[in-house]
Amino acid sequence: MPRLLLIVLLPVLAVLVLGVAPLLTVTTWSFWTWDPATYWIRPEPSLAGYGAILEAGRWTVLADTLGKGLLAALLCLLLAYPLTYAIHFLSGPRLALLLLAAITIPFFTSSLIRAFSWRLVLGRTGPVNAFLQELGLVARPLDWLLFSDFAVMVGLVASYMPFAAFPLLLSLRRVEPSYLAAAQDLGAGFWRIVRTIILPLTLPGAFAGFLFVLVMVIGSSTEVQMLGGAGASIVSVMVNDVMRVANFPLAFAISTVVLVVLLALVLAGNRAFRLARLFEDPSW
Amino acid sequence: MAIEIRIEGLTRDFGPVRALDDVSLEIAAGEFFTLLGSSGSGKSTLLKMLGGFDRPDRGRILFDGQDVTLLPANRRPANTVFQDLALFPHMSVAQNVAYGLRVQGIGRREQERRVGEALALVELADFGGRNVNLLSGGQRQRVALARALVMEPGILLLDEPLTGLDERLREQMRDEFGRLHQRTGATFILVTHNQDEALTLSDRMAIMHRGRIEQTDAPPRFFDAPANAFVARFVGIDALLVPEGIEAGGAAAVVAGQRLPVAGRAVPGALVALRPDRLALAPQGEGDAPLVLRIAEIQFRGLHSDIRARFDDGQGLVVRAPVDIAARLAPGDPLHLWVQPGGAVLVAPHAPSAR
Repeated sequence: MPRLLLIVLLPVLAVLVLGVAPLLTVTTWSFWTWDPATYWIRPEPSLAGYGAILEAGRWTVLADTLGKGLLAALLCLLLAYPLTYAIHFLSGPRLALLLLAAITIPFFTSSLIRAFSWRLVLGRTGPVNAFLQELGLVARPLDWLLFSDFAVMVGLVASYMPFAAFPLLLSLRRVEPSYLAAAQDLGAGFWRIVRTIILPLTLPGAFAGFLFVLVMVIGSSTEVQMLGGAGASIVSVMVNDVMRVANFPLAFAISTVVLVVLLALVLAGNRAFRLARLFEDPSW
Repeated sequence: MAIEIRIEGLTRDFGPVRALDDVSLEIAAGEFFTLLGSSGSGKSTLLKMLGGFDRPDRGRILFDGQDVTLLPANRRPANTVFQDLALFPHMSVAQNVAYGLRVQGIGRREQERRVGEALALVELADFGGRNVNLLSGGQRQRVALARALVMEPGILLLDEPLTGLDERLREQMRDEFGRLHQRTGATFILVTHNQDEALTLSDRMAIMHRGRIEQTDAPPRFFDAPANAFVARFVGIDALLVPEGIEAGGAAAVVAGQRLPVAGRAVPGALVALRPDRLALAPQGEGDAPLVLRIAEIQFRGLHSDIRARFDDGQGLVVRAPVDIAARLAPGDPLHLWVQPGGAVLVAPHAPSAR
């Protein structure tokens, strides 16, 4: 019995210490007062941190980050669906493994290197511009390919698409090939099968993937810093800037807002898509 | 309504394996036809092609004279009951059954009426709102049947639908297929490896082996006149004897020096198949039994005993005998056998596939 208790206790303790404690600290400190004299915080309740969010265009960065996250998550899902469909239904075991490796291996390099490589690809003299000019589609190199929201989105989608793909693949395991055959047998064409069989059965996985990408994008900074245009920002860069001047309540207030928004999304999504189904027995 | 099927020279290769080898077949409208064979015989491949889930490398399929070889499954007037049933797990019983009607854009009221009829047909009238994942095996089977039958198909394809059910349910569902065939009048095609199902249900059946059809006939003909040694063994006629000679005219054969009246055609290399149901033990030492063998072994099997006996030339066979009669016999005793009329049939040796 004590061994069983230990097995349960350890992970619970780890979650409490590593996860819940910092979050509680952050949330609590966001309501404390910043003392400019000592550059430290005093335990006196204050909403100054939250007030400062509304200054200096900080809330636009928050909204912009959320927008980037939602768009990137959507794009990742759009790419992940055909990819996982191919892996699950069309590939033999060897090709499936190859495709999985192809999307996993880029993770072996640092996000910095990956973002930097997009600079070379999307730059004025990069292969994309060279190709477009070769085809005669553009006369001069496109400037908006790099140091733009476009470049940031390319970098984000390329980095985080696997986080959408894996939960989707997990939920596709619930879709037996015979379901597709049965739907076709009853007269359904490809898109109707996608709409009436595949989408409803994979919704929990799609939502999980969507959340993963959203969370990763909100926490990301490299892509914006390496690929974004002048003045481009994102929450983590902004938090970093605020921390540099030691305004902890403001930094924590920003973090708390993000936390609340994400929690709300998870709860709403769980209600709508029943996320828990992802972990149920695929055979039923 | 029922559709007539014509299959011409279907061939399908999967890499080096020839799954279907020049198969031709005609199935009459409204017939209950069974494809019988062991796994790997090509019967499921043939069914997939009829359903439109696979295309042949060569050959044609015609429904009522119309070439449907290249028509995909969603545009064929055939519906399938899949081996794993493939019920949609996110839909209720009624939603499953209504799926095909919804695809066809049939109005809600008409949908409800036809779903109700189909569920009544399979005796699940009050099950419309149920969760398909919580039904019993037999009930799931019925839902799959209703989902196919609601489409009023000209052809119903049944892919090993009874595997995975326990014996009692099996028999129950088997009778159900017969009843539904009569009620709907559609052409039924059943794929199975279970001889019992095939024999009980079929108007005609085909035995398949290595991508070829060995024999197509009404069920009793497989016993009266098996096409070759493979078919004879497949249907349980294990006693296949090599004769020393066959009398001119083919009325009798000589096996190990003993004359035996036979039916069937004498082809080169023909074997004598002895039907176990038409062999009778002659009381010992009495009269002139046509065949005399020597008992090699007696095995108790419960309600009967198996007597393994040999001819002088070493060829053997097994006879089923009542337990108390077998108890009076011992290995080494002579065994006197009567062969009833039609009990011995000449069959062609099994030609190895011409490939």
